[in-house]
Amino acid sequence: MSAKPLSNSKPDWSRLIGDSLKHHGVWHTYAKLLEARSAYPGDLSLRGYVEIVRNTIVRDFLAHPKGMQAVPKLSAEFMSNFDRFNLNAQEGYLVSLIDGRLDVSKLILLSPFDPFNTVFILAKLQAERAITVPQ
Amino acid sequence: MTTSRVLLDHLPQPIAVVTESGGVDYKNQAFDETFGSDAAQWLKEAARAVAGERGWLHGFFVEGDDLRTIDVEIEGRVYRVDRILRVTEGETPAVALSFEDVTREREAEQAKSDFTAQIVHDLRGPLSGIQGTLEFILSADTKLDTMYADLLQEAQRESERMMNLINEILDFSKIESGNFVVEQEPVRVAGVLKRAVRSLQSVAGRDEVFLLSAHGRDVPQIIGSVEKLTQAVINLISNSLKFTPQKGLVSVGAQIERKGDVAEAIVITVTDSGMGIKAEELQAVFEKYKQSGTKSIRGGSGTGLGLYIVKQVVEAHGGEVSVASVEGVGTSMVLRLPVRRAAA
Repeated sequence: MSAKPLSNSKPDWSRLIGDSLKHHGVWHTYAKLLEARSAYPGDLSLRGYVEIVRNTIVRDFLAHPKGMQAVPKLSAEFMSNFDRFNLNAQEGYLVSLIDGRLDVSKLILLSPFDPFNTVFILAKLQAERAITVPQ
Repeated sequence: MTTSRVLLDHLPQPIAVVTESGGVDYKNQAFDETFGSDAAQWLKEAARAVAGERGWLHGFFVEGDDLRTIDVEIEGRVYRVDRILRVTEGETPAVALSFEDVTREREAEQAKSDFTAQIVHDLRGPLSGIQGTLEFILSADTKLDTMYADLLQEAQRESERMMNLINEILDFSKIESGNFVVEQEPVRVAGVLKRAVRSLQSVAGRDEVFLLSAHGRDVPQIIGSVEKLTQAVINLISNSLKFTPQKGLVSVGAQIERKGDVAEAIVITVTDSGMGIKAEELQAVFEKYKQSGTKSIRGGSGTGLGLYIVKQVVEAHGGEVSVASVEGVGTSMVLRLPVRRAAA
């Protein structure tokens, strides 16, 4: 997926994103879309494509068999080597709430962030292996 | 006298060649018979600058070469004015205009619109009564047999659907008759989104779809209509819910576009994890009577007016709409609303 505008015409985002999701996964596609957003600031539909990918990330996280009742735990790797994880302020705050007892629905209630972004941050922490969500 | 001049003189339709200042270079007999000697006066009025903007006549001179048509009220009647020619020769630019009396047509449209509004109003009353009764029975502390409870819930679902259809028809008739007025009140967009999500949370729960808010409280106010914007967002969410399978996700977000420290616009997104829209159908989703070729998961077809109405509401707020979709992944409806501030 190219992030540079080559001409006035818009790229075929739908096809590009479909292919990227299939071959590179959601996080790679998400990172490329953020780059594309700065290259195409006036493309309103691109906002929607970013949201489709974010929505997919959160939906995949909630696809856990226990859904909102799943209980995230800090990973052994994080506990032993948390310096390796370059967490931002939001991620750090959410990590501080994870005690191995609170489920996703309770974390949403306690989080100062909106429900979607709370789950999105949890999904990112899971992708970076800072947390695990046991079955 | 040339043949073409004779033809013009005797055409049954009023025709005049008018200069930008409202002067009449030529008029045919039908024009004189229709408008009489007062014509020069109202043409001059039409050309005169009003509050920093030119009158309707000015538009015929500044537009491109394409044919331009507008409906104008002249002496108590409505005329459809067509520019049939731009005359660029000579010192002053002029346009040849034809005038068609469409008063009866407009009156018929208004009568149709009034009739629709009345019918819709008459349908909404009893339907509200049915909905209230069903809600009371289902929420009352009574132990209903499972079969009856299921049937009552089905009746509740269908009555909600019917109410949505009726509301869409009412909005559509207002749009078509030009009576679609947007109030100018302060709108807390975060409140609008919260209300819309809350009103459909039970529907999402029943369909086993996650419905999550994706916005903070610090969304700035805009000027517009709380009611119309709430209805637009509800339309988008309920549309998304229809196409999202069990365990799927619908999210409702708002982002702020800033220039420096100043908020310029709010971008609202309603995103689902449904089956998406085919690329060839994407451009037409906001057109009236357009139904997606994709079948709704929960059955039932709509009027094909929902997204058209959303577009009209957003445009009436000075905003724009867009859509993004990836087949098999999901769809996102995007609304961009400018942050207009009330005059000090």
